[in-house]
Amino acid sequence: MILMYIITGALLLASLIIQGHSSFDVLRIGGVKPDLVFIIVVYFAYSFGSLYGEVTGFIGGLLHDAISNSPLGLLAFPKMALGYIIGFFGRSIFKENLFTIFLLIFFASVAKGIITLILCYLFHQGSLSSITSIILPESFYNALLSPPLFFLLDKIFEQELSREGR
Amino acid sequence: MEFFIKHKTIVLFILFTLFCFISLSLQSSGVTNVVEGAGNAVIFPFQKLYHAVQTNLSLLWSGFSQLRNAQEELEKTRLRLQQYESVAEELEEIKRENEQLRNLLGLKQRLKYDTVLATIISKDPDNWFRTIIINRGSSDGIEVNMPVVAFFGDEKAIIGKIIEVRGSISRILPIISPDLKIGVVFQESRYPGLLSGYSAIGKLCVIDYVDKTATIKPGDVVITSGQGGVFPQGLLVGVAIKSFPSESGAFQRVLVKPYINFDLIENVVVIKKEPDKEILKLIQDESQL
Repeated sequence: MILMYIITGALLLASLIIQGHSSFDVLRIGGVKPDLVFIIVVYFAYSFGSLYGEVTGFIGGLLHDAISNSPLGLLAFPKMALGYIIGFFGRSIFKENLFTIFLLIFFASVAKGIITLILCYLFHQGSLSSITSIILPESFYNALLSPPLFFLLDKIFEQELSREGR
Repeated sequence: MEFFIKHKTIVLFILFTLFCFISLSLQSSGVTNVVEGAGNAVIFPFQKLYHAVQTNLSLLWSGFSQLRNAQEELEKTRLRLQQYESVAEELEEIKRENEQLRNLLGLKQRLKYDTVLATIISKDPDNWFRTIIINRGSSDGIEVNMPVVAFFGDEKAIIGKIIEVRGSISRILPIISPDLKIGVVFQESRYPGLLSGYSAIGKLCVIDYVDKTATIKPGDVVITSGQGGVFPQGLLVGVAIKSFPSESGAFQRVLVKPYINFDLIENVVVIKKEPDKEILKLIQDESQL
């Protein structure tokens, strides 16, 4: 179990570093880049339940806030909340196949974007144009990357998944 | 206690939610700065390491691939150098003439500032914010509100300004961010305006409060006005793409494409120009009103 925590921390750290590196900008499509940290959070919630999802979302989101110019909590709250909600349904509803994983990540990313937009309106400055310029393209990009990433993460956590009876 | 352990998922959810909303309400307070500093302390050493490894590997690779072309390039460069030597003499003459004319006109000679070359080590990992982190900080004499530029050909084009400084790193707020406002003028027509990032298209900027009678053509060059106390006058910003009336109809808005491609930029130059503190204070006071 401790090894799983270490791997989770390393994965979050690695995704933040990769996502923040200037070479990652080459992968921007329509001006946006994918949110690898969020895909990892959804994976953990989907595979290991609400508790693991919300904790991973909170820690990943806080680190994301710390190195971003966002006010602390703005990126952490949506990730944590989605980690909690997706953990409720998990694999019992979203049976594992490419299409459902695509849809799960797409709608989860849209929900994350809308929560972020509301928080921006309340605590920073928000613009409705973010729906078309950030939320929808990022959601589509996240969804596109999720099947291979989920497959890779399933391989990494094969033992833990079989222990959990997934 | 048993209740909390039994319902730990929902208890943690409530605690995390409270933490997020309290820290959002207390933006940039002592507590949030400590948490942000701790997060930075965890991530930035790894980011620097990753950057160093990636840069060295790409240097090694390009070294191998470019070795073959080096001899040919050397010959071409020698030829060019001969041409430039003659141009340099000509330029020296023009400079002298220019100085004489400036003195005659009684113009103040433009101030020259020290600069610091910096490399971008990371960018904001999120799509909502577009800040840039560079590998120079307070130990290199960098301070908050110093302007940052990059080379576009032989000219300096503006990138943004420093908004956060730590020991060996600094954070830049780029001109494509809606949070940054800069006084600009159109180089030809001299009409002024206020430039900020255009939130609908992340790569563009928009100029507000442009006189509605001004004729703005696509391709018109935009430069800094020097007002606002941070940016020196005359730095290149970008070119106008199109103009349209503002919502109130009293002014026009102009979309601007910055000279610098923010997705491809790797190195920047920080101008060690201290901001005009009186102007900044005046702007801050006005924004608090």
